[in-house]
Amino acid sequence: MSENRPHVRILASTSAAKIISSELSRRRFLSFAAAAGATGLLAACSPGGATGTAPRATGGELESDLSIYTWGDYDAPDVLAAFTDELGPKITLDSFGSNEELISKLVAAKGTSGYDIVVPTGVFIPQMIENGLLSELNLDLIPNLEYMDPAFLGRAWDPQNAYSICKAWGTTGFVYDKTVITRELTTWADFLDAAQNEASGRMSVLDDPGDLTGAYFWANGIDWNTTDEDELAAAEDFLVNTLAPNIAAFDSYPGGSAIPQGTHVLMQSWNGDSRLGILESPDPDRWQWVFPGPETEIWMDNWAIAAGAPNPEAAHAFINYVLEPENSLAELDYIGYHTGATGIEQAAADAGLPMLDLVFFTPEQIDTMREGEVNEAQQRRVDIWNKTKAAAGA
Amino acid sequence: MRSFRMPRFALAIPAWAWLLVFFVAPVAMVVWFSFGYKPGIFGTHANDVLSFDRYLEALSPTFFQTFTNTLWIGIAGTAICLVVGLPVAYWMAVKAPPSRRGLLLALVMVPFWTNFLVRTIGWQVILAPEGWLSTALQSVGIIGGPLDLLYTRGAVLLGVVYNYLPLMILPLFVAFDRVGDPLREASKDLGAGKARTFVRITLPLARPGVIAGVLLVFIPLMGDYITATVLGGAKGNMVGQLVASQFQTAQNWALGSAMAVLLILVIMLTVAIGGLLVWLVTLPFRLQNRLVLGEPEPAASVAPRSQEVAA
Repeated sequence: MSENRPHVRILASTSAAKIISSELSRRRFLSFAAAAGATGLLAACSPGGATGTAPRATGGELESDLSIYTWGDYDAPDVLAAFTDELGPKITLDSFGSNEELISKLVAAKGTSGYDIVVPTGVFIPQMIENGLLSELNLDLIPNLEYMDPAFLGRAWDPQNAYSICKAWGTTGFVYDKTVITRELTTWADFLDAAQNEASGRMSVLDDPGDLTGAYFWANGIDWNTTDEDELAAAEDFLVNTLAPNIAAFDSYPGGSAIPQGTHVLMQSWNGDSRLGILESPDPDRWQWVFPGPETEIWMDNWAIAAGAPNPEAAHAFINYVLEPENSLAELDYIGYHTGATGIEQAAADAGLPMLDLVFFTPEQIDTMREGEVNEAQQRRVDIWNKTKAAAGA
Repeated sequence: MRSFRMPRFALAIPAWAWLLVFFVAPVAMVVWFSFGYKPGIFGTHANDVLSFDRYLEALSPTFFQTFTNTLWIGIAGTAICLVVGLPVAYWMAVKAPPSRRGLLLALVMVPFWTNFLVRTIGWQVILAPEGWLSTALQSVGIIGGPLDLLYTRGAVLLGVVYNYLPLMILPLFVAFDRVGDPLREASKDLGAGKARTFVRITLPLARPGVIAGVLLVFIPLMGDYITATVLGGAKGNMVGQLVASQFQTAQNWALGSAMAVLLILVIMLTVAIGGLLVWLVTLPFRLQNRLVLGEPEPAASVAPRSQEVAA
């Protein structure tokens, strides 16, 4: 940054000389500050640490506020408004884009985040419990738990539901444009094949390391949580050298714009997002959703209460409130994902909601869904994902 | 009231304090993390064993491939902003009626009234193969098939120029504005034409504005991956994203920090090389036009065309 200025000698009175020289050093300071600020765009985060235990709710009076930290656009506004009208607490919503973002914020705040309710995905819950980020639920205050389908309770990450209750669950599949891909696609192998042929250069994958590597593992009948280096290396070779040149975008929400605007012809996507996209498309018949075999993902987001939550009573009351069958149905109608309530499939059909085959799955289909894991291969999967992105962008 | 005077540097204290707390301390922390390691799948960083291993890991072909891509977009975007912004700023500062300048400046700022991401997604809607622009161009017959611009580097450049152009125009405007009319008139009186006045008087005096504009556009651009991802899709892979993915998705703060430090160093190096190139390219020109006050030194090679005087 040193500028090659010619030396200038200035003859000036003593008082003026002071001002001139300080003016020159002020400029030097400003240019240094600009250079320093320029390279400092990548700021740091605070170090992590364990949090203290949180006060448990005992069924006392509800607090006047409630703060919810969740995924974007993930709750029906009517349900939130009705909760405030009926029970009082005013709701503040804030949203995150990934579990990692949620976790780093809670870790950094050390129990002072001010959030009451958080909505982590199941596989991250053991990590959050271990680091003291969640406070235990008082299930006595959530009697509406009885409306939940037992199939969606007691999952591996929290067998007693001591910290979490299913909020919504979904799966990963893909959507294709029938006017461009005229054959029928049914499996992940078909997806990868079409990506290299009809859809080459016009297809997108989810912007997520697990789902990207998952597409390869599912297609080849390999456990997608594998930590076997040979299998990971084979996945890397295929994704970086074979698939990457065909990828046009890494898009986690094609339903938001790519499907309605017809940007791509083949898109890996989550079921609820696909459904919203197809419903919003001017030409919905063009699009075909595929629940692909032989295996695919199941993920589940969960209601949980953050450690140090300032309004634990209101938080329990809210979780109880959304589990009521009518509210659960309103949530499903808005977000397009199964909420895990018993009998909600019938209720949704009775209410005449469209495209329910993208929300509900048969027991045989559910049998082919596999949960992800945050395990020691996570770093490897992120590497593969980054390499694929670099290769696709080359 | 002259009994107590604040020391002169007191005026700079707020800025220094700000930089210390919000720049120096976080960067120091990143540097510290970068010597550590990731202790296990549920930890983010540990520093009980220090090493340079993270830097070796970060220096991968992926990093350089992504960095080359980023650098290409950074340089091309900055160059286009300069080429587009320079005439506009000159016109606003010199040619436009002074009474309108306030209004023109306000118009340059208009895009900032809307959120950055919303503006960029707006372009995504416009450029979509089935968007209105594509339909309109096809119906007029300018293009045969659907518009094939979204998710290409062209779209990234378009978005980048759109988003960063005001940052180029504003410092250039201020610089041109400060040159002032009298010097241009003097140049004209001494026989220089319009082009020569611009190249020899206005542009050299506006140099700080050009440098400020280039840095203001280039450096944020190197760290911006939002525009590139929204409009470039897979073709908009930026190195900032690589760092973010280590911090957020992999939760490997040690490796992410090493990448961040490398990125800072490489950007500084790029800026330095750029500065050096400009200095070298303009060296013959400056040698030829050295202004020598007083007696010329015997060894100095004074150009024969001594009537030309540059500031």
